[in-house]
Amino acid sequence: MTAQLTLLLADDEAAITDNLAPFLERSGYTVLVAADGEAALAQVKASAPDLIILDVLMPKLDGRAVLRQLRQQGDWTPVILLTQVGEAFERAMALEEGADDYLNKPFDPHELVARIRAVLRRARPGERPLTATQKLISHDLTFDRLTRRAWLADGEIHLTPKALTLLEYLMTHSDELVSRERLLDSVWGWAYPAGTRTVDSRIAELRRVLGDDASNPKFIETVPSQGYRFVAPVKGAT
Amino acid sequence: MKRKVWLGGTLPLALGLLLALLFVQTSLPNPVLYLRISLSTAVLLTGLFTTILLTAALWQHFHQRDRLAQQKRELRAAAAEDRRRFLQRLDHELKNPLMAMRAGLANVSNGHDETTRQALASIEAQTVRLSQLTADLRKIAELETRPLEFVPVEMGALLAELFELAQDHPGSEGRKLTLTVPQAPWPLPPVPGDRDLLFLAIYNLLENALKYTAVTDAIELRAREDGRFVTVEVADTGPGIAATDQPYIWEELYRGKAARGAPGSGLGLALVKAIVDRHGGQVSLSSRPGQGSLVILRLPTA
Repeated sequence: MTAQLTLLLADDEAAITDNLAPFLERSGYTVLVAADGEAALAQVKASAPDLIILDVLMPKLDGRAVLRQLRQQGDWTPVILLTQVGEAFERAMALEEGADDYLNKPFDPHELVARIRAVLRRARPGERPLTATQKLISHDLTFDRLTRRAWLADGEIHLTPKALTLLEYLMTHSDELVSRERLLDSVWGWAYPAGTRTVDSRIAELRRVLGDDASNPKFIETVPSQGYRFVAPVKGAT
Repeated sequence: MKRKVWLGGTLPLALGLLLALLFVQTSLPNPVLYLRISLSTAVLLTGLFTTILLTAALWQHFHQRDRLAQQKRELRAAAAEDRRRFLQRLDHELKNPLMAMRAGLANVSNGHDETTRQALASIEAQTVRLSQLTADLRKIAELETRPLEFVPVEMGALLAELFELAQDHPGSEGRKLTLTVPQAPWPLPPVPGDRDLLFLAIYNLLENALKYTAVTDAIELRAREDGRFVTVEVADTGPGIAATDQPYIWEELYRGKAARGAPGSGLGLALVKAIVDRHGGQVSLSSRPGQGSLVILRLPTA
């Protein structure tokens, strides 16, 4: 039996923390609560939580500022930021921001637990999360997120902008089962039932370009009726 | 405005009258002038004078019209901006209460009697529905401003894919579905756009047609081009839309009388319009109650 992991939940809405904290506790975590950004920073210093859930809009110091301060101090405690990352410029900013994952309110509390687990599984203590590294490397595949170029073996591969963003999302969430709806929401910015086919055709494009065999995947695995999973190990590099 | 024109226009007359009175009433010399001018010069001068007057009047007219059009555009943009801001604020204000409700519901365990369980299940379902609604509203608002990645979209292939999907749709049994896309003398030109969004827009229309028609009704997906636009039409022999509903169907959350019994958010057509607007196109509808509806999307090819 390993020691219980500690989460810090920072949100100024008592109605949310009052309900979310017990839920997270029932899910097997010790939960600390902070009602504003300064309190959150103080809590991080005092009790070094294993993961921080940060709301963006908070009094005194907002979530983004808290995250910035932590990262500037070289603190790479995993952070889930409660906001939406939609557009390309936001994604570029997110890369600098250094959050491990993003979730937009209102979300399904079970989804938050799934994300917490995935982030903790991915996290390498004291290191930059994949979501905040410039280069993602998996086997012979290299993805440069700033220049938005990708190479397989020694040759550069050419993908549509959407397929590139999709690949980026899958690689930064490696080993995580990602549903089509979540991909639509995070990569396309909208999630309507009709869109699941759109995801499938982009995945097909990715597989074609990566030379990946759907029945024996090296990179992207299909999880029947659930979604996709990037199965290859991913390393970050600057 | 009008008064100023009147004052300006009659000013020369008033001045002339004043001076004439001055000459007559005072002891200023008032000599008789003889003006010699050839007929040709007189005609030329009259022409010149009239042209100057007319040009000034026309210039004034067009200037005024442009200014009114400009004002109208600005007003419309301001209204759209207001609406966007309102939606953002609404989304923002609903977010936290909904989040608290969902977290609270997740804490309630299942150890209750049947009535309580049912009540909890329906509260949960409605909370999820409200969350979805706010998310959809936000997405429509975002769609109006976020940058899109335009590529040439092959409309023929897109429509064929949509048609196939509509045929596989569980609501399509018994409907007579037809697809008409021109191949001769040439196929449809590509439309610059976001393929996934165009797909979504037309799919929404097809889904509507499937939802509101009955078995044995006909649904036609058609396309044509006129050199400047590709026109996509979704026509059906369904119940049609009442004339009083027609002006409002493109608005968010509007649901016509006939739609009230059917599931849906009232956001589908608003989404279609937002997508087509972003492509510089136009949407329109003609419908006759009891006979059916025709939705027309016009998408510019350049």
